Amino acid sequence: MSEYSVVGQKLPRVDAVEKVTGAAQYGADVHPPGMLYGKIVRSKHPHANILSIDTSEAEKLPGVRAIITQDDVPSGRRVFATHKVLYLGEPLAAIAATDPDIAEEAAELIKIEYEILPSVQDVTESIKSSAPRLHGDETKDGPNRRSINAKIKELSSDQENNSAEIRKLEVELEKYTDEVYYNISAETHTEAGDVEKGFEECDVVVEDTYVIPRVHQTYMEPHVSVASADSSGKITVWASTQGPFAIRSGIAGTLGIPLTQINVIGTTMGGGFGGRFGVIITHVPAVLLSQKSGRPVRVQMTREEEFLDGRPAPGCVIKLKTGATKEGHILARQALAFWDSGSVSGASIGSTIRVRGVYKIPNIKVDAYGVHTNKSGTAAYRAPGAPQAIFAGESQLDEIAERIGMDPVEFRLMNMREEGDSVPAGGTEPKVGYKETLEAVANAAGWWEREADENQGWGVAVGDWTNGCGPGGVYVSVHEDGSVRIFHGSMDITGTDTAITQIIAEILTVPYQSVTIRRGDTDSAPYSTGSGGSVVTFTMGNTAKLAAEDAHRRILELAAERLNTDQDNLELKDGAVHVVTADPPKSISLGELAAYSLSTTGGPIVGKGSFARQPSTPALAAQIAKVEVDPDTGRTRVLKLVASQDVGFAINPMAVEGQIEGGVVQGYAWAMMEEMQYNENGNVNPGFVDYRVPTSADLPTVESVIVEVPAPNGPYGAKGVGEPPITPTLATMANAVKDAIGIRVSELPIKPEKVVEALKNNGHGA
Amino acid sequence: MKNFEYFEPNTLAEASRLFAEEHAQLLAGGTDLIIGMKAYTETPQSVISLQNIPGLTGITKDSDESITIGAMTKVREVELSEDILKHHTALAEGASEIGSIQIRNLATIGGNIAHASPAADTVAGLLAADAQVHISGADGERTVPINELFTGPGQTVLTPGEIITQFRLPSPASGSHYIKHKIREVMDLAFIGVASAVNVDNGTITDARIGLAAVAPTPIRAIAAEELLKGNEPTDELLTQAGEAAAAASSPISDLRCSAEHRKEMVNVLTRRTLQYALERARN
Repeated sequence: MSEYSVVGQKLPRVDAVEKVTGAAQYGADVHPPGMLYGKIVRSKHPHANILSIDTSEAEKLPGVRAIITQDDVPSGRRVFATHKVLYLGEPLAAIAATDPDIAEEAAELIKIEYEILPSVQDVTESIKSSAPRLHGDETKDGPNRRSINAKIKELSSDQENNSAEIRKLEVELEKYTDEVYYNISAETHTEAGDVEKGFEECDVVVEDTYVIPRVHQTYMEPHVSVASADSSGKITVWASTQGPFAIRSGIAGTLGIPLTQINVIGTTMGGGFGGRFGVIITHVPAVLLSQKSGRPVRVQMTREEEFLDGRPAPGCVIKLKTGATKEGHILARQALAFWDSGSVSGASIGSTIRVRGVYKIPNIKVDAYGVHTNKSGTAAYRAPGAPQAIFAGESQLDEIAERIGMDPVEFRLMNMREEGDSVPAGGTEPKVGYKETLEAVANAAGWWEREADENQGWGVAVGDWTNGCGPGGVYVSVHEDGSVRIFHGSMDITGTDTAITQIIAEILTVPYQSVTIRRGDTDSAPYSTGSGGSVVTFTMGNTAKLAAEDAHRRILELAAERLNTDQDNLELKDGAVHVVTADPPKSISLGELAAYSLSTTGGPIVGKGSFARQPSTPALAAQIAKVEVDPDTGRTRVLKLVASQDVGFAINPMAVEGQIEGGVVQGYAWAMMEEMQYNENGNVNPGFVDYRVPTSADLPTVESVIVEVPAPNGPYGAKGVGEPPITPTLATMANAVKDAIGIRVSELPIKPEKVVEALKNNGHGA
Repeated sequence: MKNFEYFEPNTLAEASRLFAEEHAQLLAGGTDLIIGMKAYTETPQSVISLQNIPGLTGITKDSDESITIGAMTKVREVELSEDILKHHTALAEGASEIGSIQIRNLATIGGNIAHASPAADTVAGLLAADAQVHISGADGERTVPINELFTGPGQTVLTPGEIITQFRLPSPASGSHYIKHKIREVMDLAFIGVASAVNVDNGTITDARIGLAAVAPTPIRAIAAEELLKGNEPTDELLTQAGEAAAAASSPISDLRCSAEHRKEMVNVLTRRTLQYALERARN
């Protein structure tokens, strides 16, 4: 039996009924009186100079109430393009009209004169000197190097006093390679040990290039916001977002409006996956249109707009080299990565270092670049950057294991770090569950007894991720009927409200059903970090725990007063405070105490929890797939998919399994079918017809295996569970396909055509 | 969606008259039209529903074993019809590949064909069944063999005001089969589609029809491959030759889904496979 009665239980979600009945209110359900319909006018070319924008005809159309361009952004912060567009679908203007059809018609009446420029869509082309330059920057250096050089120049004016500082910067510059790349938006360089020496000592060295496509988060609900600016200047925004407080500060910063003039109301979120933090995508245009028209305005993206102007996950090209001894010790690994950051900087280039995985690799060197292309910018997607880097790292591990004749699971186990091993970022590993998690999946999948018919294969891979942490606040009130109310401001993301509710019910020893949770807007609720980075259960769970413990203190205080005894003699159990020393038994219920509290000096039972930061503990996800490949058609069928994950402690095992399954399915999709496709005219598959997300018919039941190695600072030991399960799946699939057909596909997705092609190149006749 | 006038005529003649006007569109199941209208890619000035016109729905079997399918018959009904499943399996299989069950409960076979997409899932099966398309217009009725219906992507021989009323499938084959090449298991568009139907007598193929979708500007029959098969006993070598002949008859394009070369290869592979299945069905 568990020592807990509510946490650790598979309880139904607190929002199940409103979701199932359709009562949940999403952004598009918000319709204040007098609301206008917004429409963003977008570039029809991926790269062009804008010669003119003429809105005069559109303004004359009856029903059009406001048209805005960059001229209407008082702060001057870039919301719309002015002289140059850098991707197909980049916003140029926005319209508010009394009817969506009128807005659509007005958009057609806005005359935009373009001077079309050659575009570049591929990072390997963009870094060449022949590529069109997106930002008119003719220098070969990336922004980091430019800023270091500028600083050296600045310090040089006082050479004598600054010589030490200058020398330090010169050393920093030496880390940067001499290669000349163009259109670089950012770069990062990391080195530990000596890779050259490391490779020399290896018996086996493998090199390959891995290509991972740009994919979209494909949350079910497209971006939407409804903004209402009143005559006093107060702005209300109903926003479909993962982080209402981040949106509030984002709007304030972009438009130069005082923070507390803005109230953001988070609407029920139709999926986020990291892609729902954007401020200017819909929220800022909606506010500007409302300010100009004096009416509430809804700006809602279509699915096509999501593909053109969402902020998807970056694709990348990773050249990777790994060396090991014939006994199986990995000695060196080196990566050169080019991340497609689109028209702005910001791709997850820092995640390239994740090629090191959870292995003891003494020598490692990583050079990573963000590269501009004529595409929209990128954003987070479930463990940003990790699936890409881990795909390369874990694919190559299998190649090494094969060359030295080792079992892929044994090879990984042999190289995995354990508690006390030094970690590359400094310090040593805490108690981690890497080996336990890999062993658990191998045992559950039947890896050691695995069998495969012709064209069938097994693949394994692991991925690591550490949850984030952030500030949060929670209030807990106990009412006179013994029920408990939670008040907070964090957005529910796949069951986090349920986890918070379970934690508070556990501490206050009341039935789960008697605890309800209420979310406030940014005007009313305490600050809360965004619901991303697997932070919510860790952060808000800890916060909720503190709030419930605070309420618990007040409850005992009241009970001691009421029962006229010492607090040491009291115990809160089953929703009542008991005098442990009393015979016959003596107790008072929470409801009675709440009623009593109303006439006390100390007042009602209100618990407050406030929390910001504690170190997190890394979590591992390990997966095994069995596939069958049809060598004639190249189609791959998944026969078995088993996923284990160290979750620290599963506060709601059902929700945890849901997260594991969801992550695995998204990883599978990235490996096998999802891909944003581009040609010289921009994105060519902006819709669900040719951007394929899988359905339940594509996969067998995902078997989830929960491993619990507690995190010292997590609530009840919990670790963040949302992100880890997507990290190894890309490599798991590629490794299984390799095992089935004997050929490594290192360019995703593994579409039938690529498999047929690869087989043909290896002598398989159609 | 742009404003439009909506009509629900009660007779074919009235529907034809309305449909002959410019910028008029027929509404059958609406699974293509409504999506296009919402995306402003279709902006008809009038929409004419066929809903109230009697006699356009249902599947009937005639005494000569031929089957008639009303153009307004739901794709789901075609998929589940015992007569179609038994006698024109490839057509039922094609119908089962369209969209989701919800879509198939709305979409009609007439709409699937009149839309004239080279990748329509019922078209290969209708080609392999040698379906006759009945058409009604201002000048009366006429019948066109399905392989003469299409003139290009989205284009047919239908003249303004003409409406497809039914499909007649002549005497059934002994076995048929449809395979759709796709990435996603369900709810995908055909990269290519192949339907083969064979008649077998005493171990000899007496007749064969092969319908190909999404490998040419219009859906086509692989006539040369059919001729190779007729009068011969089915051997592995013969089926391989038929596959190659079908591939040679195709003229696919390269697009974002896959290359022309891959499509040709798949015509070869799937023609061979559909023939194998069709022959197995013929034997049982």
